[in-house]
Amino acid sequence: MTSKKLYCNCPTNYAEVPPNTNVCPICTGMPGAKPMMPNEGAIDAAVEISLMLGCEVVKNKPIYIQRKHYDYPDLPSGYQRTSLPIAMNGVLEGVGIREVHIEEDPGQYDPVSGTVDFNRSGVPLVEIVTEPGMRSPEEARNFLRTLTRVLEYTRKVRPEAGGAMRADVNVSLEGGGRVEVKNINSIKGAYRALKFEMQRQAERIRRGEVVTRETRAYLESQMITVPMRTKEFEEDYRYIPDPDIFPIIITEEMVERIKKQMVEPPHLREKRLARQYGISPQAARVITSERELADLFERVAAEVQPQLAADWFRTKLKKVLNYVNLKARDVRFTPTQLIRLLKLVETRKIPREHGELALRELVKEPDDPERILERLGLSPPKPEELDSVVNTVIREHKQAVCEYLEGKSEVLNFLTGKVVAASRRRADPREALAILRKKLEEIREKGI
Amino acid sequence: MSDSKDQDLNPKEIERSAEEILRVFTRVIESLPVEEETYYGQELVNPLRPDGEPSPPSVRREFRKCFISIMPASDDDGKLRVEVARWAR
Amino acid sequence: MGTLEKIEAIRNGELSATENVELALERIRKLNGKLNAFLEINSKAMEEAGEVDRMLKAGEAGKLAGLTIAVKSNINVKGLRATCASKTLEDYVCPYDAEVITRIRREGGIIIGMTNMDEFACGSSGETSAFGPTDNPAAPGYIPGGSSSGSAAAVASAMCDLALGTDTGGSIRNPASHCGVIGVKPTYGLVPRQGLIDLGMSLDQIGPISPDVPGSVLLLEVIAGKNQAEGMMMDVERVSYGELNGGVKGMRIGVSPQFSNLTDPRITGVIEKKVEFLKDLGAEIVEIRLPHIEQALSAYYLIVSVEFFSATRKYDGRKYGKRIESVCGEEVLRRIMLGSYISRREYRGRYYQRALQVRTLIRKELSLALKQVDAIVGPTVPKLPHKLGTRLTPLEMYAYDYLTIPANLAGTCAGVVKAGEVNGIPVGIQVQGKPLGEEKILRVMRALEVESSKSG
Ligand SMILES: [Zn+2]
Repeated sequence: MTSKKLYCNCPTNYAEVPPNTNVCPICTGMPGAKPMMPNEGAIDAAVEISLMLGCEVVKNKPIYIQRKHYDYPDLPSGYQRTSLPIAMNGVLEGVGIREVHIEEDPGQYDPVSGTVDFNRSGVPLVEIVTEPGMRSPEEARNFLRTLTRVLEYTRKVRPEAGGAMRADVNVSLEGGGRVEVKNINSIKGAYRALKFEMQRQAERIRRGEVVTRETRAYLESQMITVPMRTKEFEEDYRYIPDPDIFPIIITEEMVERIKKQMVEPPHLREKRLARQYGISPQAARVITSERELADLFERVAAEVQPQLAADWFRTKLKKVLNYVNLKARDVRFTPTQLIRLLKLVETRKIPREHGELALRELVKEPDDPERILERLGLSPPKPEELDSVVNTVIREHKQAVCEYLEGKSEVLNFLTGKVVAASRRRADPREALAILRKKLEEIREKGI
Repeated sequence: MSDSKDQDLNPKEIERSAEEILRVFTRVIESLPVEEETYYGQELVNPLRPDGEPSPPSVRREFRKCFISIMPASDDDGKLRVEVARWAR
Repeated sequence: MGTLEKIEAIRNGELSATENVELALERIRKLNGKLNAFLEINSKAMEEAGEVDRMLKAGEAGKLAGLTIAVKSNINVKGLRATCASKTLEDYVCPYDAEVITRIRREGGIIIGMTNMDEFACGSSGETSAFGPTDNPAAPGYIPGGSSSGSAAAVASAMCDLALGTDTGGSIRNPASHCGVIGVKPTYGLVPRQGLIDLGMSLDQIGPISPDVPGSVLLLEVIAGKNQAEGMMMDVERVSYGELNGGVKGMRIGVSPQFSNLTDPRITGVIEKKVEFLKDLGAEIVEIRLPHIEQALSAYYLIVSVEFFSATRKYDGRKYGKRIESVCGEEVLRRIMLGSYISRREYRGRYYQRALQVRTLIRKELSLALKQVDAIVGPTVPKLPHKLGTRLTPLEMYAYDYLTIPANLAGTCAGVVKAGEVNGIPVGIQVQGKPLGEEKILRVMRALEVESSKSG
């Protein structure tokens, strides 16, 4: 997200301000208003997204900004400015990306109350057009989730913000015309609209009726699609290059600069993590679900056994974060604190269960893991304490001690368990066993 | 001519005159040599505008006032009032 | 009193800004009822003049301090109405100042009012205004020309000191010629268009109309130069035309036989006398060729219709004003229909793109001709103005624009100065220059003006 709009200097935080506050003559289509030069930040973002989707960027060639004419209440000038493709021919997890281009967002029209707020008008928008080929609503949903993750990785878009990601979907069944559905504001909405639309079309075909080529609108409140029968959406947009904006030219240097500051796309990172650290595909998927989570993982995996770290990330850390509704980018603990905690687990200084309790605490009230364990009363016992626990156990299990002295060395395990339990599971079993053995050998020599 | 606007325009007739003009003008340019198209008033290299600090709120506040005052209809929040969409009815 | 003398008088206190505004208002009261040059008077003009007088006393006078400036009604002036002389924007009170207005105010110019024009600048006679035609002060009963009809008439009748017009295919030069005043269409991209209501975005330029050449120079120096807030501008910070009185000795001046083929012989006669005179002053007269000047008209109207169609899509009646197709006049509707038709997907290539190719041809021809000379002189309008109210066909009306259109298609500059009269009707000579060649054309215009004043 840029700070300024695409063709004017109004701010882009449209959701956070009262209606028609982020507006000027340009983004409200006042008579005589001319666009400013295109916002460079928006072009950069589009190029970065294109590169992440493996597209070929259109370089050293004029990219015209076209006027797409149609009449709709949210469109202040009666046309939308939309660029020719910035990039083409990409692929994301098997789905072809036909092209990427830049548009200006229209205002927000409430079709039910009949009111318009132009705060959003002119905010830069990157449109990604896929090739046809997804075969089910589930496939489309998975693709949209994968795409969302890519967009989040760029930090240029906030797809999870309401309405910041919108989709137009096309449904075409064997024997019917292609139907476009507009007004979809979320992945869930896309899934439901597709489901509804496929059933509707299948039903018509089954009854021998014709599925005509048309544009429909998704009504979120009722989870259905309805025809947009308005003549405003006639097909001819009468494209002309905007005479007020010179075409954009993307140079090799621009692309190189963007490549340098760009991060590894999540779908590629996922595969690399699995390969490089020898972790499961499931763990790699969870770890790369957020860019910051994956960054954190790689810090941790440099010092802690990677499989152990991956397991903790997948089964524990991600769950805790979800539970307290926190994004990895918003955590307050330091990577070092997490590393120290996992090291205590790795070296079995603390049992896994205590590690988990400490982790939960680390997310909520960040601190050094040793201090957290102490706060929770879970610090490993001091030598004198462990000594006295062992003595108590020996005292209370005379029968077992006798058996040991008689040569039944396997009793040692039983006694160790008792020591660990008596320390409220804080004692390291190996350490407890060593002390026990030492003490029992002393008894064997000196007698009780 | 000044009284013509008091009469109702005849769009059909105007359309016919537009077609006539198109016919005449197309005939004139038909046979001229083929060239690249010139879309712009000057062939300039247009620099981009850096992203950065948005316009000051005071400027936008002043414009908002004027904008709302010229709207044919608005609601209490300052939204422009237009028609309800046919498909949403 | 010339523009520079008036500025001098205001500077040294012989005439206050307030008195100057009073003079203008008085003349408007007396003449506007008959001429219909102004559609709205700035009710704050006196107040603004008072402020300028205070600045003058404090020694902070700008370049235009105390001068009254009339503004064509397609330029936004905050608080006044930029109606474009259309019912569509009848009630449109501008919420902002166009960049040129900001610059004029900064230099102490006082906006005296908004002038009449052809509706949305679609016309060359001043008659398509929804608020009635403007009369020609220099030839009463005849059209003043258009589309900047009110601005030219206001200057010609001394209802203001200077005026802003706009020129898409001759809309400054045509009325300047018919009304016997000075008008300049600057190089495309020299003057900011932010706040100018579009006719053809790739052709429109704002420019000065004035009673004398120094007046146009002054106003142009104030409004010209880059504006950060828009894209299509030349890389020129500010302009200053110092060598105005340098004369034409040694200058190469082009004339074209194609001009006289299209022009009323009586007008050609007036122009030829001026060419002779330039020769006498030491200019070298060179014959140049502009073989496709006649075809430029066809290309122009196809292009302008498409751009105008696009520009008018915002007049949907929702945000302000009324839906354009419901209330506009015949010529506006015709251009919208034409533009809508030829930009259709299936016709684009055949009409619109073809016209854009001819534009390239014209641009090449004109720039080739301008390479051989410093300026090209010739008639401005090929015909004498008709009597107000005469019914012309659209094609007859468009024929007024043959000679002015090439400069817009090519993005070059051109100015007009009075050359003489035919039957008491003023005839202007057009001086055309290279892109950013304003200094040279203004020098030629000044030489012609000085000669005219001498010969009386
Ligand atoms: Zn804005």
